[in-house]
Amino acid sequence: MTKPSFREEVANLLHAAKGSPLSACIQCGTCSGTCPAVEFMDHTPRRMIGMILADYKDEVLASNTFWYCASCFHCTVRCPSEIDIAETMYALKRYSIWKHEYQEGLLGPNFSETFVKTIFRSGRSYEPVMATTYLFSANVKELIQEASMATNLMLKGRLPVLPPKIKRLENFKRMINRVIPLGGLS
Amino acid sequence: MRQYAYFPGCSLEKIGLSYNISTQETAKKLGIELKELEDWNCCGATAYAHVDELLAYTLCARNIAIAERENLDLVAPCSACYKNTFFTNQYLKKDPDMADHINYALEEDDLHFSGSISIRNLLEVFTEDVGLEEISDSVSQPLKDLRVAPYYGCQILRPKKDGEEIEQPDFFENLLSAVGAEPVDFALKTRCCGGSLLISSREAALSMIHNLLKNAEDSGAAVIATACPLCQLNLECYQNQVNQEYGTNFSIPVVYFTQLLGLAFGIPNKRLGIGSELIAATPLASFAKK
Amino acid sequence: MSEKVGVYICHCGSNIAGVVDVEEVAKWAGEDLNNVTVSREYKFMCSSLGQELIEDDIKNEGLTRVVVGACSPHLHEKTFRRACSNAGMNPYLCQMASLREQVSWVVEDKEVATQKAKAMIAGAVERVQYHEELEPTEVPVNPHTLVVGGGIAGIQASLELADAGHPVYLVEREPSIGGHMAQFDKTFPTLDCAACILTPKMSDVGAHPNITLLSYSEVEEVTGFVGNFHARIKKKAKYVDEELCTGCGICIEKCPKKIIDHVFEVGMGYRKSIDRPFPQAVPNYPVIDTASCTYFDTGKCKACEIFCPTEAIDFEQQDTYLDVDVGNIILATGYDLFDVNRMPQYGYGRLENVFTSLEFERLCNASGPTDGKIVLRDGVTEPESVVIVHCVGSRDEHHNSYCSSVCCMSALKFGHLVIEKTDAKVYSCYIDMRTNQKGYEEFYNRLLEEGMQFVRGKVAEITDAARIPEEENKLIVQVEDTLLGIQRRIPVDMVILMSALEPRSDAGEVGLQFGISCSMEGWFTERHPKLDPVATMTDGIFIAGAAQGPKDIPATVAQGAAASARVQGMITTGVVEIEPVVATITEDMCSGCRICNTLCPFNAIEYLEDKEVSYINTALCKGCGTCVAACPASAITGAHYNNEQIFAELRGLLFDVTSGNGAKAPKEAPEPVSV
Repeated sequence: MTKPSFREEVANLLHAAKGSPLSACIQCGTCSGTCPAVEFMDHTPRRMIGMILADYKDEVLASNTFWYCASCFHCTVRCPSEIDIAETMYALKRYSIWKHEYQEGLLGPNFSETFVKTIFRSGRSYEPVMATTYLFSANVKELIQEASMATNLMLKGRLPVLPPKIKRLENFKRMINRVIPLGGLS
Repeated sequence: MRQYAYFPGCSLEKIGLSYNISTQETAKKLGIELKELEDWNCCGATAYAHVDELLAYTLCARNIAIAERENLDLVAPCSACYKNTFFTNQYLKKDPDMADHINYALEEDDLHFSGSISIRNLLEVFTEDVGLEEISDSVSQPLKDLRVAPYYGCQILRPKKDGEEIEQPDFFENLLSAVGAEPVDFALKTRCCGGSLLISSREAALSMIHNLLKNAEDSGAAVIATACPLCQLNLECYQNQVNQEYGTNFSIPVVYFTQLLGLAFGIPNKRLGIGSELIAATPLASFAKK
Repeated sequence: MSEKVGVYICHCGSNIAGVVDVEEVAKWAGEDLNNVTVSREYKFMCSSLGQELIEDDIKNEGLTRVVVGACSPHLHEKTFRRACSNAGMNPYLCQMASLREQVSWVVEDKEVATQKAKAMIAGAVERVQYHEELEPTEVPVNPHTLVVGGGIAGIQASLELADAGHPVYLVEREPSIGGHMAQFDKTFPTLDCAACILTPKMSDVGAHPNITLLSYSEVEEVTGFVGNFHARIKKKAKYVDEELCTGCGICIEKCPKKIIDHVFEVGMGYRKSIDRPFPQAVPNYPVIDTASCTYFDTGKCKACEIFCPTEAIDFEQQDTYLDVDVGNIILATGYDLFDVNRMPQYGYGRLENVFTSLEFERLCNASGPTDGKIVLRDGVTEPESVVIVHCVGSRDEHHNSYCSSVCCMSALKFGHLVIEKTDAKVYSCYIDMRTNQKGYEEFYNRLLEEGMQFVRGKVAEITDAARIPEEENKLIVQVEDTLLGIQRRIPVDMVILMSALEPRSDAGEVGLQFGISCSMEGWFTERHPKLDPVATMTDGIFIAGAAQGPKDIPATVAQGAAASARVQGMITTGVVEIEPVVATITEDMCSGCRICNTLCPFNAIEYLEDKEVSYINTALCKGCGTCVAACPASAITGAHYNNEQIFAELRGLLFDVTSGNGAKAPKEAPEPVSV
């Protein structure tokens, strides 16, 4: 049994998109030309696809590109080869969380895992919990800005105080446990 | 009497409360019954799919299964809830093996997914199911000369569902015109607000919000209308931070389209949640029911 | 009836021999099959040595039938039939078994393949013994030719035929010939003025004694078969008497009604209600557009009639019909452009100064709406910066997956024109530069030297949402510069979209009318994409130019010439051989029920009123067998596919499950299941 290539590993995490035909990529750059967050990415989405196809696994996982993806799907709808690029970014996120391999200093992985844990514990999401993500970043200015906004929202009655819970939480937890994840869940 | 299973989603409970109440008020006015999903769970937003695809589908499948019990189509005002639920529905209908796998999990809550209902977003329920004519007929206070930027955002349009127009749609503008408002030519109307990127990749999201606000202002809008609580949060509550970051001084109110509809229908401000904005919706003041 | 059958099994290199045990099959055929005198296997039967094997055996062994197990009859049936006839045997006494396409290329298991090969050879051997000597019929070829479409392809084809002394009917839908080429300004790579090289040819067509030019006309109906087509042509009313009109143009001058010309000027310029498409139109007769003409609307005006010095205006003119008999038809109907409104992200229509390629051609053309000045939509302002967007609607799964072939060169041409006529900076945003014909790569180098800028990346969108002061009031082209790996926003004044070439919107109907098919994308289907690009599967109907697929002018002219050469060959030969594999109706057995009449896909069966029986026109009949199967009285026989022959083939194919003529005993019948 040969070890799967990186592009096969990525394809395995793309169930709904049926592996998405990454090899159909003609490197036209429409995706990167469309992407609203591209200025902040170290590699453009087009280059990421190229790197996956070239099996440059370490470089891909060391990149911040897919963590800056807003999943707006604009790239996907415009791609002339009908590749689902946004979903591929999701697959890379899943892969990198699964393997715990991602660029240092990124808040995304931690945030996603916290979000998922919150849902697992209560069946609902709870915004103030997100604030904990900021405690990991050393940016004081941002923390103050967030705190100020949160206060304003609270004054307007828009911030939840108590974390909500669904009623049939025990069933919910057992339900989640019955699903065998495609990747891994810590 | 049109009935739908109503999936408010986590954001509509507090942060987007005005969306929740204005939706219910306008629906009532138009003869739509919204039966809230019993014991609904979070749709997973974008974050859940970052961790596992199958678990993400399971979350949404549970909600769909609950709605199927009522035999009603499901409507989700939040664009993220809508997108996740719609595509879970579509994908599980196409892939019976995956549906089996997830139904095995749903058994723990005595639920079963069968793919018998449709998932709708709120804008299309108003524009297609009710129709612009009926909406116009219900207007008692046309929003005359109110220049509104119709902000579709990304998740109700993309990914593509059928052959519909997604680069230059016009159903939101049509809805606004039907209540007498003046939709402006908002070039970036389908661009992303950054969503949850605001927390994980802040500078990218702020840059996206900055572009949107600038374009809305340049298009001459007095107010931005949205259909998603996260878009509303990002565009309104972070205007301050955008101003600090970019040295601008934006102060554009961002409201939900259901609030505008409610105003036009003559429903009082309080029942529409008008007044809970961080940036006061002063352009709406003249239309408030006395 | 004891025939002497020669069996030849081809190895086809390793194509057949790599899977089928050809030696075994040949040996088995010689030993186990009836009446097989000679059985050989050979590496390449289609080679001259292979053919000689057959010819020698016929002469020396006195063979009366030949079976060749090789590739598909589509490829070499002719070859082996010819070998037989060279040796004095009727070619229809030869039968091929497709051991390659139907066995070695589709069966993986070698044993199964060998067994199947044996079955097919057995089938062929059985069948061929019932073959009859057939002679092809000859029909004369009418020396007239119908050319449909007066663009450069049709013009070239018509001139070559006419110069060779053959009469041509050239039918063109628009009031003038010239096609799209007449709309262009310059042509790549020579930068010849399109009109300058086209109009001499147009003029030749107009003046040629052998060409009957039917402009503003369309073919209504076509019937017949190769060598003998009959076409009904509708000559649309021009409301101008061609006998009297001198082309002076006073009527055009005096016409008070000005409308936007959506056809020739692509919406960029105006025409009068009575007008000709462009000054050098051939023929030069103006045509009245009844939709906009004041007279046809209200009964008033008549300025053209009043001022015409030769009384050539005739408001009472009707459409007339012309019936012609021709031997061959050439379809050269050209292409349409992709509708860029289908890609709203490029802003066409919403953003003023986004142009299509054809619109830009008209701008550059000296007799165009701006007298050849490159200006923005306001008609006055010269752009300071221009971006040319490649692949709009091409190489895109959402629209057309193919490459339109000419746009890269056209884009370079536009770049050159912008540099020549303005001081503007010009960019090309491309995915690949496709400059692959004579002089094309050199043209690309020339543009590099002239200072055209190239950004490798497909443009994602054109927007007016400015982010910085430099972008205000500009068209912002957002594209990834893939060679640099960054997203760029390029603020410009003008954008040109290189729209894809698409088949004509009515290509499907036209194909149906003439009896040819279209590919999935809608281009006319050639007989063979590599080896026969101008013929179609319908004998006597040829295609040329962009109607067969997107191509540049040199290739179009070559195809026009190629089609005319084929037709000239047919005319010179004077006759056409019709394959004798046709159906015939035995009159005595026909009850006149006419079931076959409507079933025939080639409209080859007619009903004879006086005899009250049906009759098959052997020239139209393609031998498909539909009528043979349908006839309730079994009154129709399909030559070369009669019942005896078919049953014999079945017997042979089932050699290993029926008794006789095979090595194996029949299989045991399965246990009956009790219900």
